Amino acid sequence: MNITWLPKKSVVVPLDFSDFSFAALEQALEFVDSPEGIHVVHVLPRLSPMEPGVIWGTIDDDSRRDHAIQALKDRLTGQEYRGITIEIRFGDAARQVARYAEEIHADLIVVPSHGRTGASHVLIGSTAERIVRNSHCPVLVLRNAYR
Amino acid sequence: MSSQFAPNGAKHRSVRYLSMKMILGCGILLIILISAITGMTATAQQTSPEPEKSAVSKVLDPALEKINGVLGTVLMYNVSGDTFQKSVYDEDGEPVVDPDTGELKKETIAVPLIVVTLAVGAVFFSFWYRWITIRGFKHSIDIIRGHYDDEKDEGEISHFRALTSALSATVGLGNIAGVAIAIQQGGPGAVFWMMTMAVFGMASKFSSCTLSQLYRQYNPDGTISGGPMYYLDLGFRAKGSFWAPIGKFLAVMYAFMVMGGSVGGGNMFQANQAFKAFSDTFNYPEKYDWAFGLVLTFLVGVVIIGGIRRIGAATSRIVPSMCGLYIVASLVVIGVNYEKIPESLFLIFEMAFTQNALFGGMIGVIVTGVTRAAFSNEAGLGSAAIAHAAAKTDEPVREGLVAMIEPFIDTIIVCLMTSLVVIVSGVWDKKELADGVIMTSAAFDTVLPWFRYILTICIFLFAYSTMISWCYYGERGWIYLLDHFGHGAGLRSVVVFRLVFVFFVFWGTVNELTTVLTFSDMMILSMAFPNIIGSILLAPTVLKIVQDYWRRFKSGEMIPDR
Repeated sequence: MNITWLPKKSVVVPLDFSDFSFAALEQALEFVDSPEGIHVVHVLPRLSPMEPGVIWGTIDDDSRRDHAIQALKDRLTGQEYRGITIEIRFGDAARQVARYAEEIHADLIVVPSHGRTGASHVLIGSTAERIVRNSHCPVLVLRNAYR
Repeated sequence: MSSQFAPNGAKHRSVRYLSMKMILGCGILLIILISAITGMTATAQQTSPEPEKSAVSKVLDPALEKINGVLGTVLMYNVSGDTFQKSVYDEDGEPVVDPDTGELKKETIAVPLIVVTLAVGAVFFSFWYRWITIRGFKHSIDIIRGHYDDEKDEGEISHFRALTSALSATVGLGNIAGVAIAIQQGGPGAVFWMMTMAVFGMASKFSSCTLSQLYRQYNPDGTISGGPMYYLDLGFRAKGSFWAPIGKFLAVMYAFMVMGGSVGGGNMFQANQAFKAFSDTFNYPEKYDWAFGLVLTFLVGVVIIGGIRRIGAATSRIVPSMCGLYIVASLVVIGVNYEKIPESLFLIFEMAFTQNALFGGMIGVIVTGVTRAAFSNEAGLGSAAIAHAAAKTDEPVREGLVAMIEPFIDTIIVCLMTSLVVIVSGVWDKKELADGVIMTSAAFDTVLPWFRYILTICIFLFAYSTMISWCYYGERGWIYLLDHFGHGAGLRSVVVFRLVFVFFVFWGTVNELTTVLTFSDMMILSMAFPNIIGSILLAPTVLKIVQDYWRRFKSGEMIPDR
């Protein structure tokens, strides 16, 4: 697989509801012929076993998935987003994004970087960095241009 | 990384989750191993003059004392100056004469800043919300019974379930050991002030939980994040740009303190007293405290790190039944001594107002009562607001009304039971029963010897459920702070907090009560500062919605679903 600037068949964009990630989506739309090539993925972390909704069994992965899909659909209402695929995954963000990209044989992953440094970098790490390490395909990391 | 992937993601998720569990499992194992090694060393060193103290507590006690010293300066700042003084008495109850001056020796009765904050806050909220705690009592019961539940409202759980979840954190050793400690330090009169404080405290609880519903964060996956750090942050932001940084400051301060309170009163105190009760009941040697600590650490670890949800759910749900069992057992002890009830109640009332110098005079008794009340029902600390934020409702005031029942159940019912048990059984002035919880179990002993086993089981389950619930409160503080570094960063890194929490379970078990109790008090009570100051500043906004709610309720436009 080579990286060229020719239109891509499928591009994966991880969305975490931050402004950076929506900016990355805008960028990704430029790489495809139609929005149908865009695969938006939102990774939900595991919930605390002590979360009240978990304790009482009123919240589970299915209800969280439905909510998250609805929340993404509410954000992506415009004409330019018509046909985008929405995928919800659970667990570690970087690994799930890389895995999803591999499963659908994506040509490119577009990720924003928050550019964390110092202690927060050690503690949380850079998801973008880890996507690069785990990915089978080229990854475009957008630096802080949208800050 | 393997390139073999099944078409559906389900398999990966479970595999991924398992490996995550393995890493975490190794983490727990490491903690247990380190603790075990230090524990073994202690057992090996039994020839030393103090064989009952393990090496771990020898290392950790001085560290805790240092932290206590720093915190104490601020929290325990004596606002009264030298206004209140008491005579000093020796062991025989005779006043001590100062050899230099020939006059009676006097000591200052300290009125800590934190106690004043809690009391003033509670009284303020009671009057500010026009005694809604009394006016809305019946309405509150109706809401808890589910007459106003609406499935379509946003939230995670019903009113009743939110109340149960919050109660599983508050009903803990504060109600069993805490009352005994209050009576030891402040005499039976302290019980009166605990009750009085609880009545006012209902308004503090009402305020916190109304606010936590008013300003909560709706996450994209349908979960809710709330609690003082969120309402201080969002509430002050809504007040205007001048207030936003103040709110942020208070919220961050609170988030740090709730983490501290969660490892202090919500963890170490519980672990410590659960061990005391256990070793006392089953004649378990104190030098093996580390072994009990390891078991408890493991039991907490499997839920909070291992993610075994069923155990967490079961303990949270079992609390109301344990509460009932404890009340029944207490009623039996009180019933057997029924002829002493009037004189005990009179003793509580009388000692609340007399200048009994042994307990630090009336001011000293009030200080003890207020402190223990806050510690038992958490009113003013804002912790329960974290659980109540998850309730399904579109009326913030409604959740406040539900939450205000907690101090009533917790202090006015359960604590009164404990104090009557301790007083009617006559064990309250026995000096040799030094460790809070041991006094309570001695009181149960006077009626039926096997009662202490029921009590020990209750204590263990209360302590366990409190630890698990408080870990949740603490980690919400962590999540709030870490979320500033990016969406979902808090939940992703929360395991760090959980590992620390699990370690403190062990630390609490092997420490002596004095240092542990001081540390717990400091951490848990300090949460009141940002919460009460913030809630007072937000009170005008809340009053408007309270009055609006009450008008609509009275007009009959809210139709209960009976």
